[in-house]
Amino acid sequence: MATSAKKIFELFVSKVPWTLSSKEMKEYFGQFGQVKKCLLPFDKETGFHRGFCWIGYTSEEGLQNALQKYPHTLEGATLQVQRNRKVFVGQKTNKEVPEES
Amino acid sequence: MAALLRSARLLKCLPSGLLQTKGTIRNGPPLSRLYSGAIGGKGTGVCLRHYAVIPEQKGPAKDESSLGVRSKQAQQFDWALAKLDSSVRRTGRVTKTLLMRIFHDICRTGYPSGNQALLLLRSCGSLLPEVPMAERSELARHIWDKLKELGASYDASHYNALVKVFLQNEFKFSPNEFLAKMEAAGVQPNRVTYQRLIAAYCNAGDIEGASTILGFMKSKDLPITEAVFNSLVTGHARADDMESAVSILSVMKGAGIEPGPDTYVALLNAYAERGDMEKIRQTLETAGSTDISLMDRDLMQVVFSLAKAGYHQHVPSIVDLMRHERGYVPDAMNLCLSLITQGHEDTAFSVLKTFPTLQQENESGDSNNLGNFFLRHCVNMNKPVEKLARYCQELQDSNCHAAPLQFTLYCCLEAKNTATALELMKIMKEQGQPIRPHFFWPLLMQHVKDRNTVGVMEVMKGMQELGVPADVETLSNYILPAFPNVAVARDTFKVVCFCVHVTFLADKENVTFWEHLAGLEENQLELSLSAPQSHPPTHSHGPGVTFYVLVSISVSLLSTEGVSYFLYNLIDSMSEAEVQAQEEKLRQYFNQLKSMNIVIPVNIYRGIRNLLDSYHVPELIKVSSDSPSTGLGLERKLAELKAEGKPVGPTLKQLILSLCSEEKLDAALELKSQHAADMATGGYAALIHLCCRHNNVDEALKLKGELSHKDPSVSLDSTKSIALVKALVKHDRMEEAVDLLKEMKEKDVSVVDTAVTLLFHTLNAAALKGDVAAVRQLQATVFTLGLTKPTANLCSPLITAHLQTKDLSGALDAAMECQKQYGHLPRIHDVICGLVENGDTELLQKAMDFVSQERGEMTMLYNLFFAFMQTGRHREARKIIETPGLRARAGRLQWYAEKCVAANQMESLESLVEMTAKLFECDRDEMYHYLLRLCKNTNDWRKAEATWTKMQEENVIPRERTLRLLADILRSNGQEVPFEVPEVWYEQAAATETQPDTKTGNTSTDLQLKLLILCKRDLHLPAPLSQSDVDFSSRTGRLFISAVNVVDLMSLFVSSFLSVVFSATTHIPHFKLNDIANSLLIITQAKKNLTKDALATLKSMLQADQVPSKLSITRLVQSLGSHGDIAGIQDVEALMKGLGNPLNLSPMMFVNNTAIARIKNGDLDSAVEGLEAIYTSAGEGSQPASMAFVFRKVLEEKNITALDKLSAMAERLANHFASYGPASDLFIQLMDAGMKEEAKFMLARCSAVAEQREALVSYMSRLSRTPGQVKLCFLALSLLLILSFSFSLNFFDWVCLTVLARSTALDNDLASAKALYQQMQSEGVEADELCLKRLAKLYKSAGESVPFTEPPVSVCALHTPLGGIAVSTASARCTRNIMDPDLVVIPIRLC
Repeated sequence: MATSAKKIFELFVSKVPWTLSSKEMKEYFGQFGQVKKCLLPFDKETGFHRGFCWIGYTSEEGLQNALQKYPHTLEGATLQVQRNRKVFVGQKTNKEVPEES
Repeated sequence: MAALLRSARLLKCLPSGLLQTKGTIRNGPPLSRLYSGAIGGKGTGVCLRHYAVIPEQKGPAKDESSLGVRSKQAQQFDWALAKLDSSVRRTGRVTKTLLMRIFHDICRTGYPSGNQALLLLRSCGSLLPEVPMAERSELARHIWDKLKELGASYDASHYNALVKVFLQNEFKFSPNEFLAKMEAAGVQPNRVTYQRLIAAYCNAGDIEGASTILGFMKSKDLPITEAVFNSLVTGHARADDMESAVSILSVMKGAGIEPGPDTYVALLNAYAERGDMEKIRQTLETAGSTDISLMDRDLMQVVFSLAKAGYHQHVPSIVDLMRHERGYVPDAMNLCLSLITQGHEDTAFSVLKTFPTLQQENESGDSNNLGNFFLRHCVNMNKPVEKLARYCQELQDSNCHAAPLQFTLYCCLEAKNTATALELMKIMKEQGQPIRPHFFWPLLMQHVKDRNTVGVMEVMKGMQELGVPADVETLSNYILPAFPNVAVARDTFKVVCFCVHVTFLADKENVTFWEHLAGLEENQLELSLSAPQSHPPTHSHGPGVTFYVLVSISVSLLSTEGVSYFLYNLIDSMSEAEVQAQEEKLRQYFNQLKSMNIVIPVNIYRGIRNLLDSYHVPELIKVSSDSPSTGLGLERKLAELKAEGKPVGPTLKQLILSLCSEEKLDAALELKSQHAADMATGGYAALIHLCCRHNNVDEALKLKGELSHKDPSVSLDSTKSIALVKALVKHDRMEEAVDLLKEMKEKDVSVVDTAVTLLFHTLNAAALKGDVAAVRQLQATVFTLGLTKPTANLCSPLITAHLQTKDLSGALDAAMECQKQYGHLPRIHDVICGLVENGDTELLQKAMDFVSQERGEMTMLYNLFFAFMQTGRHREARKIIETPGLRARAGRLQWYAEKCVAANQMESLESLVEMTAKLFECDRDEMYHYLLRLCKNTNDWRKAEATWTKMQEENVIPRERTLRLLADILRSNGQEVPFEVPEVWYEQAAATETQPDTKTGNTSTDLQLKLLILCKRDLHLPAPLSQSDVDFSSRTGRLFISAVNVVDLMSLFVSSFLSVVFSATTHIPHFKLNDIANSLLIITQAKKNLTKDALATLKSMLQADQVPSKLSITRLVQSLGSHGDIAGIQDVEALMKGLGNPLNLSPMMFVNNTAIARIKNGDLDSAVEGLEAIYTSAGEGSQPASMAFVFRKVLEEKNITALDKLSAMAERLANHFASYGPASDLFIQLMDAGMKEEAKFMLARCSAVAEQREALVSYMSRLSRTPGQVKLCFLALSLLLILSFSFSLNFFDWVCLTVLARSTALDNDLASAKALYQQMQSEGVEADELCLKRLAKLYKSAGESVPFTEPPVSVCALHTPLGGIAVSTASARCTRNIMDPDLVVIPIRLC
């Protein structure tokens, strides 16, 4: 259980209108706490983003602030915001490693 | 003209179905009729499989290696077809991109089938509202020519479809030339062709031409249908003779044809083209007063005509008349699209504004987006920006769309329409909306891909004009990559003197650029890896190749359940061959999971087990190869056992079972009374069941009493109990029946499916006697006890009982009660039919209200519809089915159609098919297929042919099975088939294997079933093959062959199987069996001693890159061995080496069989040499596997010389080379063969055998598990004990004794057990609890006192199956841990 030092506080945002870019997302979600990471993947084929986004806060507080607000309306569109349940590869989970005796 | 019409043979004599013809000049034919979903579901499968095989049949020999490519194509094609189908179903239109994609796919495959061609041609008309008409006709011509070039053969249906498309596209062509062309191609025009050609003339206002065609029709004695008259209305109108046009209606009436909706639509269109609103209103009124209801769809045609003729101002008044029926929105959308395409976007916009606002979609605050399709199509049609802006403004002002400009811009960007996009952005900017750099990315993206620097510069110029600076991302991802290098880019910018942020191009910043790129890649990596997480089904990942990677990921990331699902989906998505090939990896993975303590939930485990089971067919066959013992043999055996004083339990049970299966009740009962003491539960159960079958309730109850006396805890299983209940009910012994049901509940008997069926029959039998009370009592008991869930089927007997007594009101009440209590409405159809028949309107109303309230209006309408149909009240039925908003319910329609087919009710079925023509979402091909099936049953080819014409008239694209059925009917009546019959024979590996079951069409599944039944029932195997309608997928092939194999194992002829394969191979040059079928073939051949053939099969398999199963190789090698074919074995060994041993074959198998072969050939010395070499050359650590097989074979054949040599070898190996394997193998085989003396000598000569603990303990343990082997066990033990001084380890004795105790307990052999216990004591062995417990039980059951303190373990633990498992796991563990004496005790204690 020694691996829980790097906790992550992430939101998964979907229904992001195409007119928004990661700059706007970061700005908007910045009001709830310090945003460490904002990932809005773009489709290299079409040049449009895919409509979903990850926002990483530096603290649990920011995450909670963002989750408490409802609805999240940005430029007339309602964003769907939820706690990110999926774990990124590369960020090790704090899953317990079965101990061998 | 009129005379011509009057003299024409009229329609009165025709089946009423022909009267309901469709107008031929409609603009937007209803999708349900036009399309009929002919390619969805089953059709897809058919097409696909057809597609996959045709190239092989007719095409030039293609490169074998392209198999994978082709299967991929097949999948894409399948995807496209399904997509096309769903597109038409949902929206009534197709996009050109999709159509072209399918067209190209078909072209690539080379050989389009008839209905593929039909599908494509059909789609070139009004299904493409987004494409200008001229372009559509051009497309149709192109497709026609191209497919012809590719070898498609056209029949009348294709020509008809082409004319139809021309008509829809208002394409000008000469009908006479068309006819000439058709005749030149040798295709006979039919009624539908003439009808449509008349329409073509009429559309041009050419009454003269129409009359010529009418003349043809008359000369051919073809009926003149409503469609012809409708065309004539249009024709006269276009010829500017409205008077004649109107008079056609009275001519129709004079000819006995009532003008239908289409007639009025033709007339309305004629007025619309003149802009005569007054007349339109009048006509609408007339239509209304004559009970003709015009649908929204009909009115839309009028709107279209008005717009085309330039009378936009009148459109709103027609639009106001629309009733917004179900399906209004898609139809109206298509109207708008057509109008936009034709350049009437303003009219389209006025139609758009009448759209009902979508049902409060914005309750969650979501923005409205009405008109997206409109804006998109306007953009695609390059409408001027000013108009776009105006539409956007209006949409926004009327609160229909929240952000229309953004959406329009999105469409422009998607269409890469730079100019319009820039204009729109300017407008947006003026309105104060933000313009962001990433808005330009889609535009830039295309230029970057094309390396079009000029295009990039143009966009950048636009950006500059809009005052949007290009940021780092834009520059690095979407601008720079278009240039060969940064320097060039910089130069270009300098030249054009852009004031962009050129500083970013400095070297220092380049670092950020690359970092950024790297970051992106990482992100994408994250994305792609998160995909399998969220969607564990990883079919798209090519499981065979990448799954191991995914497995690792999943293990590290997913939860336990995730892993389980992943695993299930993984195995599910793999084909048999893949699973076999990846067996090793899967095993590793399982082990890995085990080591990680991941436990798979039971239900998923079952699923996985079932999957794996289904993939290992040969293993199952192996199991089924035991031949059943005959009753006679058993009797003898029983007598023998009895005489020897041995336990007879199992044999007795077997004998009773076999007597029961022969229905010999008396004999079985007698046997029971003879051996009452030895009777076990199973025997009683079988007897009770038999008594029930023979209606001997008293005896059954008596037996049951005996059984429960013997062991009160035992309960009968559900099937037997219900059978007893049934017998009781039959004898009206209701009380006892109810008691029995209660007892079942008390004893917690789980009710299986067959028992539920039996229960239904019980209830139904009572119901048929009209015994309402009994049924009610039983039903209530069953449901209140909760023995099974109430189903519609189980509820139905109550209604049956009422119906039986003609008590309709009671039946209705009962049905309503069932609905209220259990949520089922059993037999409501029969009840309603009865009510309709009796004309009991009051009750009928009550029933309808109830159904409507409980099940919804739709169900109610269907119920009523079918009731009217059933009772022959077709007029009423038609009224019901034409209720606006009614949708097709495939299941209900199928139910009724099947009923008609089964009951041979042609008239009823015909009316059903005809009435559902306009039903929304009705699968027309399916409906016609029912009709043809009935034609097939009655062998009525005339009806079948008429059906075919009707299908063309209705524009139904037949599925292949429909065509085959039709062809079959025609052929079997000696008629010529007027179309190309789809080919049905094929066999391909790749396509089917990469697809899960769902893609195999129903036809195929049906056929598989049929084939299986045929195979099982008789051996007329080649019979189904010679029939032309047999569909033969590789799966079918496998099933087929496995069926044959099972049959074959039951010692029937292999020749029939081989002849099947032979005929299959000769019938179809490209017939190939897949891996599993081939493996089975090898096994069969090996079993039938056709080793040469088997070897040849193996070789051809390997050549075709197939992997044989392990079992097949083993069997083949064994067969080769017993034939003495050493060269063959070497061949196989070499072949398998070439495969890289994916089958994990033991090398010993080859060695052993080579030895057998040599022995067979009499070459003992080299056999011994070969074996000896293996054992002597083996290194210290690696013990070669057992050669017990060789010993067993030699012993079986009683080849004494060989045995001597071999045993000498074994001793030599043991004594000189310390290789004890062969010696212990020999010892065990000798024991098994009952050669005790030899075994003893063997042991004496070679005492080291006794030290082969592992081998011996596992042998003992195996022995102890089979009843009746105590003696042998003791013998082995005593033999070994002689030498026990050489190994004094306690645990060995302990294990042996445990094992022995178990076997004595199994055989109830107290004497042996006593001896054993004494021996244990004298040896100083401490017996463990389990052992003592067993002994104690033996003592007790023999009525003796237990001479030791009985351990406090619960008694049932030993009796229950669970206890049994615990015991066997305990011994399994101790044998496994035998190498580590300290561990042995632990697992046992835990148990």
